[in-house]
This record gives sequence, structure tokens and C-alpha cells, in this order.
Amino acid sequence: MKRNIKIKSWILLVISLCLFACSEVDNYNGPDSSFEGRIIDETTGEIFVTETGGIQIQLEELSWSETPSPQHIPIKEDGTFEDSQLFSGHYLVMPINGPFWPLNQGIELDINGSTSHDFEVLPYLKIENLEYSLEGNTLVLNFNLKAPISEGLPNVLDIKPFVNITNYVGNGATISQYSDPNKIDINAAWDSEMASTTYELRVSDLKAGRKFYARVGARVDDSFKKYNYSQIVEVDVPSE
Amino acid sequence: MLVFKLKKMKILYKYIVVVIGVLTVSCNDLDVDPLNIIQDKDIFNNENGVEAYFAGIYNTLPVEDFIYRQDAGFMRNDGGRWQCFYHPGALTGELVGPYGSTYDGAGGFGYWPYSDIRTVNYLIHNLPENAQNFTEKQIGEWLGEAYFCRAFLYFSLVKRYGGIPIIKDVQNYPEQSIEDLQVPRDKEIDVWNFIADDLDMAIDLMPESSDKGRANKYVAAALKSRAMLYAGTIAKYGSQNHVSGEARDLGLVGIPSAKAEDLFRQSLEASRILDGQYSLYKKRMDDKEQNYVDLFLDPESPESIWVKDYSLTSGSAHSWDATMTCRFMTADGLSRSYPTLETVERFGELDVVNDDGTPKRFDNLSDITEGIEPRLLASVYFPGSMLRDIEFDIQRGIYEQFSGTAEDEIGLNPPNEQYRHLAGSTDVLFEGKQVIGFTGISTNGDDKTRTGFYVRKYIDYNKEQSSCGLYQSTQSWIIIRYAEVLLNRAEAAYELGEVDEALNAINDIKDRAGAGIVSSGELTIDEIRNERNKELAFEKHYWWDLKRWAIADRVLDNTKFHGLLPYYILDEDKYIFLKDFETFQRTYTFEKKFYYEPIPGGELGKNPNLYPNNPNY
Repeated sequence: MKRNIKIKSWILLVISLCLFACSEVDNYNGPDSSFEGRIIDETTGEIFVTETGGIQIQLEELSWSETPSPQHIPIKEDGTFEDSQLFSGHYLVMPINGPFWPLNQGIELDINGSTSHDFEVLPYLKIENLEYSLEGNTLVLNFNLKAPISEGLPNVLDIKPFVNITNYVGNGATISQYSDPNKIDINAAWDSEMASTTYELRVSDLKAGRKFYARVGARVDDSFKKYNYSQIVEVDVPSE
Repeated sequence: MLVFKLKKMKILYKYIVVVIGVLTVSCNDLDVDPLNIIQDKDIFNNENGVEAYFAGIYNTLPVEDFIYRQDAGFMRNDGGRWQCFYHPGALTGELVGPYGSTYDGAGGFGYWPYSDIRTVNYLIHNLPENAQNFTEKQIGEWLGEAYFCRAFLYFSLVKRYGGIPIIKDVQNYPEQSIEDLQVPRDKEIDVWNFIADDLDMAIDLMPESSDKGRANKYVAAALKSRAMLYAGTIAKYGSQNHVSGEARDLGLVGIPSAKAEDLFRQSLEASRILDGQYSLYKKRMDDKEQNYVDLFLDPESPESIWVKDYSLTSGSAHSWDATMTCRFMTADGLSRSYPTLETVERFGELDVVNDDGTPKRFDNLSDITEGIEPRLLASVYFPGSMLRDIEFDIQRGIYEQFSGTAEDEIGLNPPNEQYRHLAGSTDVLFEGKQVIGFTGISTNGDDKTRTGFYVRKYIDYNKEQSSCGLYQSTQSWIIIRYAEVLLNRAEAAYELGEVDEALNAINDIKDRAGAGIVSSGELTIDEIRNERNKELAFEKHYWWDLKRWAIADRVLDNTKFHGLLPYYILDEDKYIFLKDFETFQRTYTFEKKFYYEPIPGGELGKNPNLYPNNPNY
């Protein structure tokens, strides 16, 4: 009897193996291609000043479907992007979700092996002549705003300081009590007065004896409301 | 020999059986209706059948009640439907709650009720075909009710997605081809117009009165008042603040601003139809606080226009009592959503600081409620409020002594400082005194208030504590009440420049609430909106109001919300209240693309004609 059961279970096992075994080989290649590049500021030809995730590259795989679901590559803090796990194919790509004049349409390209492409975009605003000083443990930031194109520019929303203890600093990485209360609301259309004003942001009560990384951001009321940033400055607050 | 014969007989028998079997199966036509499936003729032939069919439709209507979640829907038969604290208000700072941010709910839950719409269309199609069974009037009333239900379903779609396919006939598969069934999106304005047409027919055809759980002529007018106001504001404000994209260029989302006036006019006229039919609840105007509390609990309220009922026996009971106040007051469950100081101060600033900047001293917690509008006290439990003879002993911590200003203490919110004691548990004592109250505010977890307040609206204070368990609350949800119609009326009238009509409606509301009335010079659109947010607080309107006014991305822009944190000062034996961040210090941001939810991915996969998706998705 026991033997019988054993034989039965062997037969069952063999049958189920037969049922589940696959004879067909998957004919798709894995996601073995990569796409990388940089975002370039059209006004300077240099890399666009941003923060981690401050822009996204949208990819639509046209060779897969006429109406593909978009995929996104977030940008790194140095203005470059890279995704090394993409399927080879024909894509429509476009930088979106960032503080620049929207591109009318993306570009179509084949991603195969390691493909690279740089995008040129035009920032809404630029922060220029940034100067900083410490008054005791208050950080004072002075700067000018410049709009490469002023016609049709959405309203300027606000200017804001960002402060962090590492050089990853921006709207997504800031110490909120140094940042939020020191924002200045502008809420107005761009005009010549804004262009000639020297703005001042102050961050008080910085902790003594610490090193901070700080920058300034300004944004307009477009679809994404992302900040255009200044370069990052290092601030050493002296010990008391 | 005999044996052989028997064997032969057996074979013979077998043959006979087989032959009979073949004959039986082969010749009869099997045209008998299955007994276990209810047929159309059982339903559309008699009144009970149609009424039962309606009961099924009402069960599927998208009522945003106690249980509704912006991120998970209507939770029908869902095991998680006890968690009333997943309140849409907690995505917006009306409350702070379990949601980590606005993102958690902004994408919706992929609501796509075309099977429910088909059920209604099927009725609209079949009723006239069975007209011989009923009077003409009866058929008309039912058709009107069906148009109402269809309008309610489409309203719940268009406010989420903008334009979606308008299906008004019964689709059939496989009789129709797949291509035929892949209907493209209609323009947003066309959907709103379709809703208006359905509601006009409903108003025309339906009777004047009905059971409170069912629609009638006036319920349809009230829904039209709401829907057309939504559309009017989307036309006026959404056209100024929006995300551009292909769907907007095609009119699939967005309404031309030129349509705003007509839409406001339609809303206003619909509101006027209800004049004299319903009234504000004023049974106890000698005690306006109690009056406002009872408005939400009295089944005989003349203010309730359309309600949804719950019962223990049918298993539909909800858990509002068990999950909107803390366990200290209830028999089971826990709370996680709390009104913010921003919501409370819509009613006026709380005066807790002296001119010199030092916090005011209070002998008792409940002294904070002195001089506060009765409606606010009836909507929110304050520190020192009572429920079921238990005090909300809300206390954030103990100061051994306090000499400075309020401002110096707030903003940083570190767990402990010299002279200041906070705690995570109610059994922590300092010099024999409990550091935090049984009802909060704890440094640990969120099952006690994070803001110093609890929701009071709809809490059944008459219920014994022992019966405030999960799935034991049966108070009705008021889907539409007359106060909302007055607020719709005020807003639409003001947008049309008819200030006097707006003023009368607002002052009716204010008078019942125990608030001071305003003069026509003081009346602004912001005043009207603020009145709406106060009157309808926690009733699941705020999310949609923020969206249709196109201000959500301003109100929720990296925003933190505040609480009113009571502290006990040991050496003075007094209380102070500090207005500080709610204890989780969460940040809420509404991205502009959230003004419309994305068309659900699964539907896009089934029907490519739904493209383009809404902008930025």
C-alpha cells in the first residue's frame, strides 16, 4: 500500500512537471540598454543648475506602443541623468517638470547599447551676482534676478533660501526652519523693477560652529512651480 | 443455462437504458428559464421588481460618506472600512491624519463606474418597453429618478477626470464590435451639459417628496445647484490656473471661461427651486451649540435633503464614533485625524498671547472656549470639552516654570528642554502630575490628537461608551443639506453680481450658527468661501472646493499645519496654549496636475480612444 502511494506521487510529480514545463524561449531581450546625458543651459552653454530630481526626462517607447505609458528619469544634482536598465527601441524623449521654458516637442531617437543625448533648455529665471556674508550667526544673501525671456513669463511666485548640512541642498533637501520663514513672496508679473532690484534673503539663528551649504531659489507660476537655483555657497558659522 | 439467460437479459436491459437515455436527451427542447436567475420580466413587470432594481442602483451610487476615501473609494464590503480617519480632509490640512502628504490621495483610486451607469441605462431603456404594466405617471417618476442617478454618477466622474465618454445607451457585447465599444472622451463642457440635461428631466418628472434615502424633484435641484456651481467655478478659475497640454487644447479638460456666467445662472436657478421646501435646523435656538450638534443626529431634521442610512442588522453600520475620537471615549478602535488650528481659526483668531508676547495664563483648560462661536464648539472638541462625561484633558506637557514669550518657545519643537517635559505615554509622571493627558498630546504615535482638537461633528454623544465600537455607528450621512444649497446660492449669486441674494443666504447661515451677521459692504467672495468651509467642515467638501476654486496649489505649497498645544505650568498651577506645528510637522503640496486625476491606466489599455491622458500624466 505504502509503495503504491509512493508510485502515485511520483506519477503526479512527473505529470505536473510535464504540464508546467516551458518549451518556448522568451524572445525579448532584457532591459540592457542605457540612456544618459546632460541638461544644458542655453544661455551659457554650461550645465543647468538644479537639484536632485529637479528635472525629469520623460521617455515614451514608441516602438512598443503607439500610446506608451511614460517613464521618467530623475536628474542628478549635477545636471546629468542616466538610466542603465532600458529596453532597446525607438523612443520619444523630453525633459519636463523643471524650471525652464517648456519644449514644444521632444526628440525621437533610438536607444540601443549606450546612447547619450544632451538637452538644451532655457531657464525661466537666473540668479546672478550672488553674494553672501555672515552677520553674527545670520546669513545674508544678496542677488539679482534675470529673466532670459521676459515676454510671456508666468508670474514670479517667490524667492527662498535653502540651507542644509551637506551639499545636497534645494527645495527637496533643506532645513525647513531656516528656509520656510525666510521666503519672500513676490506674486507679480516680471517687470523692469524686478530686473534692477538687488534682493536680500536673511537666515538667522544658524547654529554656531557648524558648516552649512546654502543657495537661493526663485520660481514662476508655471505648471510645475520648480525653483531656478543659484550656485551653492559654503558657510562656516564661527563658534560662539 | 439460467445463468447464461440472466447475462443475456442484463445486456438487453443495458441496451434499453441506453436507448431510452438517448431518446430523452435528444428530442426535448430545453427552453426553460433558469430558476436561479431573476429575469427582466420579473423586474419590469411589477412595482416591487422596479423598486428592488432601484435599491441596487442606490447601493452603487458614489456617496462620499463616513467611509469614503479619496485614495481608495467607497470601501464597499472592504475590511478596512472601519477607518473613518482616512478622511479626504487629511490630504488638505482641514485635518491632519494618516496620509503622509497630499500625493497619497491626489491620484484618486481609478474610479470608472461604467457598469453602474449601464445598469441605469438598462432601466431607462427597458421601462418604456414595459409601459403597459404601469401608469404613465409612474413610468415618468421612475425615469426621472433614473436620470437623477445617472447624473450623480457622471458628476462623480467629471469632477475627477474632466471629459469622459458619455454613454447614454446600453452597450452590448459581443453583439457590438470592440471598436464600436471603444468610445472616445467627450469634452468636459459637454459632460457638464449632459448632467444638467439629465437633472432637468429629473426635476421635471420626479415627485415632490420621497423617502429621505431616495431622490425627488428637490434632491435633483439641489444636486444641480452643486454641480453647476462646480462647473461655473472651473470655467472661471480653472481657465486662469491650469496645466496646459493636449487634453486641454482639445477641450477634454477645462471649460471656456465664457461659459461661467451661464453655469452660475443655472446653479442659482436650481437653488431657488428649493425655496420654502426645506429649512435650516432650528429646533433649539436657545442653545445654538446644542442645536448645531443635533442637526447632524436628528433623523427628523428639516434641513436634510438626501441622506444615506446605516444599520447594524444589514451590516452596513460605520465606525465614525469609534475612530474620530480617541479610545479614551470609545469602546474600540482608535483615532488618527485631527482638525488643524488653521481650520479652527477660520472662525476667528484664538487669543492666547498677551500684548507683551507672553502666553496668557488660564485656570482651566476649558477657559479657552470662552466667547467662541457655538458652531465651532459644535464642530470641534477643544481642550476641556466633555463627551460622555469624560473630559478632553488634552495636554502637550509640563513646564516647571515659564517666563519668556510664546514666540521663543515655538517652531523648533524639540522633544524635551530644560524645564519642559513631554511624554509618549499617559503613565509618565513629573512630580506626581501626569505629563500628558489621556487624550493627548503624545510624542509617540497618532492615536491621540496631534493638534489639540478632535472632530465633534456627527459624533453621537448620546451613545453609551460601551457601544462606541467598530461598525456600531448608525447615524445617517447627510448627502445634501439645505445649508449647502444656501451656500451654493450665495456663491453663484455673488459671482453673478446679485449681492443681496448672496447676503441673505450667508446671514441665514451665520444666524443659525451663532455667528455675527455681515453687511453687504463686508461681503466678499473670500468671506462666502470661508463661510462654506466653516459650515461644511469635515463633510468632505473641502477637497473639491479647493480644486474647483483653483487655489489648491497655493494653499498646499510645501505647507505645514499647526495645532493648539496646551501646557501645564507647574509653579503657577496654570495652563498656557502655544500655537505650534502639529506634532508630526508634515508637509503638504498640491501639484497643478492634480486638478484633474489621471485616466485609469487599465482603462487606457482597454480603450486607446481615451487618449490623450490628462496633462502631465
